[in-house]
Amino acid sequence: MLELIDITKVYNGRKRAVDGLTLRLGPGLAGLLGPNGAGKSSLLRIAATVTRPTGGQVRFDGGDAVARPGPLRRALGYLPQDFGVYPHLTALEFLTYLAAVRGIAGRSAKARIGELLELVNLAHAAKRPLGGYSGGMLRRIGIAQALLADPRIIVVDEPTAGLDPEERVRFRNLLSDLSADRSVLLSTHIVSDVESVATRIVVVTGGRVRFDGEPGELVRGVAGHVWELAVPPAELAGVQQRLPVTRLIRTAGHVRVRVLATHRPAPDATPVAPDLEDAYLAVVHRSRTAA
Amino acid sequence: MNALGARRKGRGVSAFTALAMADFRERVRRPAYLVMLISAVCLGWLAVPPASTRWVVLDAGGARGLYTSGYVGLVTALTSALWLTLVGFYLVRDAVARDVRTGVGQLLAAGPLRTPVYLAGKFVSNLLVLGSMAGTMAVTALVLQLLRGESRAVDPLALLTPFVFLAVPMLAVTAAAALLFETTPVLRSGFGNVLWLFVWMAGAIGGQSASAPLGGIGVGQLAGTMPATADTFGLGLMYVDRPLRTFEWPGLPLDAGFVAERAAVTLIAVAVALLPALWFHRFDTAAATAAGIASTAGSAAARAAARSLPEPYTVYKGLPRTAAVAGPATGRLLAAEVRILLRGAPWWWWAGAALLGLAGLAAPPGPALALGWIWPVLLWSRLGTGRDAAAILAAYPAPRRRLLAEWAAGVLLAAATGALPAVRMLATGDGPGLAAWAAGALFVPALALALGTLTGAQRTFQAVYPALWYLVINDVAALDYMGALRSAGHPAGPPAPLVAAVALALFAVAFGVVRLRHARR
Repeated sequence: MLELIDITKVYNGRKRAVDGLTLRLGPGLAGLLGPNGAGKSSLLRIAATVTRPTGGQVRFDGGDAVARPGPLRRALGYLPQDFGVYPHLTALEFLTYLAAVRGIAGRSAKARIGELLELVNLAHAAKRPLGGYSGGMLRRIGIAQALLADPRIIVVDEPTAGLDPEERVRFRNLLSDLSADRSVLLSTHIVSDVESVATRIVVVTGGRVRFDGEPGELVRGVAGHVWELAVPPAELAGVQQRLPVTRLIRTAGHVRVRVLATHRPAPDATPVAPDLEDAYLAVVHRSRTAA
Repeated sequence: MNALGARRKGRGVSAFTALAMADFRERVRRPAYLVMLISAVCLGWLAVPPASTRWVVLDAGGARGLYTSGYVGLVTALTSALWLTLVGFYLVRDAVARDVRTGVGQLLAAGPLRTPVYLAGKFVSNLLVLGSMAGTMAVTALVLQLLRGESRAVDPLALLTPFVFLAVPMLAVTAAAALLFETTPVLRSGFGNVLWLFVWMAGAIGGQSASAPLGGIGVGQLAGTMPATADTFGLGLMYVDRPLRTFEWPGLPLDAGFVAERAAVTLIAVAVALLPALWFHRFDTAAATAAGIASTAGSAAARAAARSLPEPYTVYKGLPRTAAVAGPATGRLLAAEVRILLRGAPWWWWAGAALLGLAGLAAPPGPALALGWIWPVLLWSRLGTGRDAAAILAAYPAPRRRLLAEWAAGVLLAAATGALPAVRMLATGDGPGLAAWAAGALFVPALALALGTLTGAQRTFQAVYPALWYLVINDVAALDYMGALRSAGHPAGPPAPLVAAVALALFAVAFGVVRLRHARR
């Protein structure tokens, strides 16, 4: 089990990216949601042993993973948000190298790399230099390398950036399978990435946890607080100033606006069933107004 | 000029200023800039040493000027003209590459900024960085004048005049050369870094000659102001037999011819900086690839091709079935490190290595080895520098094993490129030569690994190693790390165990830096 206990990360002695955050990861997929600059990537780098926390503890199977990161690294699959590759190596050569770094036996590595390349739909490009890969293909190589050693803990940062819709669906299926008996921590600011697969949602803003629970619980929290109304285009700015708008669609003559409000915001507003995006935006809005 | 023309001109000037200042600010806000300024202070200290010292940078026939404002200005200006042209080139040679690396170049290319304006902005930024170092040396010179106490009269004009007429033109040449090398195919590679060392050597020696074009560095103007002839005048880092006697230097004589020559050198530098506008790719990656610019040869074109090719549709079939079984992987790790080191070497590198190998059959083992161990300088320079896959590898286990494998790959490269001389030494029973060879094979990649790890830049090794190699082939036996020089048939350099020990110490430095960075991650 991976535990992040009272984690703080301060950059340059000033910028507090993570602020006393605690997270315990068991089997299942935890979707880490938060706006840009919320501290998600810092938290993931700490969980992946890449960055040392300024304060707090990272414990893996009871051991101190900050002082002795080896055991966690051997059990970890990590996909950073931005990463490079050796452009002159083929996908096969690159994964073979990484398998050797991880100490995977030759025969096992060869078979597993073949299967992983099929899994990420790159078997046809296995012998092409990575320098010729598109952004989406590289992202899939990143996913393959994260699964090389059959990790118990999987930490992925914005994994679907650059993937086309078909690949996103494939990736969601993969995550769903992986999370059956592994701990998966997935950071994103795209709610639909975690909507159908996450067993747990953690919303982070300003380096702190604002919600930690099941997706259904998050959605139930805003039941009765989501409304739709039609406004003339000229009045849209006023509505946006007054209320948090989660969606808007322009049609001929007016704009259909979906807003968050504890009470009916206008006589013609109709209540609608909230979804995960409404619930997430409500948490983010609450944390901003509280600050 | 019509209104539209005037508006365009105004926009160009403001873009030029904004670009130069943004680039300059970006550089001076990096910690490395502070190190550069500290280096400039050290260089100033070297130029104005205590009276008793025997290490000097200017020897005017066994004499030096009294430390007046004018003389400390002269000697520090000449020092910056001589040494900042070497070191400064490597320090500022990243202005365009940074824009490529960060993607800022793409943003600029999509705007109305004209290529000559871009180049002019980068040139001025280079010059500002070098100028700030020279300025630091000028301040150091003034402090040292007061500290040494030979003259208390402060004359800012006399102090700065040599900087304006001797240092600035040379710094302009350096700023322009760095830009020219960065924007020209072939020169922009590591080959350009090595080439500059030799260009600088030729310029530093030839530029002091009285017959140098446009006065060279400008030391010809000092004739008659010092008790030295062309034969007894020395500029560079020298050890003298006894402390230099002193004389009163009258100041830098300025005449129209000299000023015109200095202005001409500066104008030529400006022209050289703008010349690449004829071929600069303006961040068009496809053009860059065609010109052999991209480090990933053919990558832009290949990426475009990858995007245009439809991918086969496959159905998700579930997780891999094969377990990841732990097992021995050292051999595969080493093979992969060798592949990473060698992959991407162009065809001409392999052809050159083969030719040098053949030459090694004809030449004596020493010179053959020296030839064999300069050729892979660009490949060795990759060792220890920021790895392309660093973001992924940061969360991988066994960082020490990886570093060792990286070094071992460099050692194997040394062994391969020095194999023929080794075989010949083996055949002739040259045990000491073989021991020196083995120590050298450990030393060169260890040096690359240490410098790469410390600085994170390939160009450090690309500048340091050829200088070391050059000294060795010029018979400086004390530095012969490979046993190329012989005395009575035996290697004339330091003992092989000492070289091997230095190699291990350098590896330990690399290892220590990696550990320290990991601890402070």
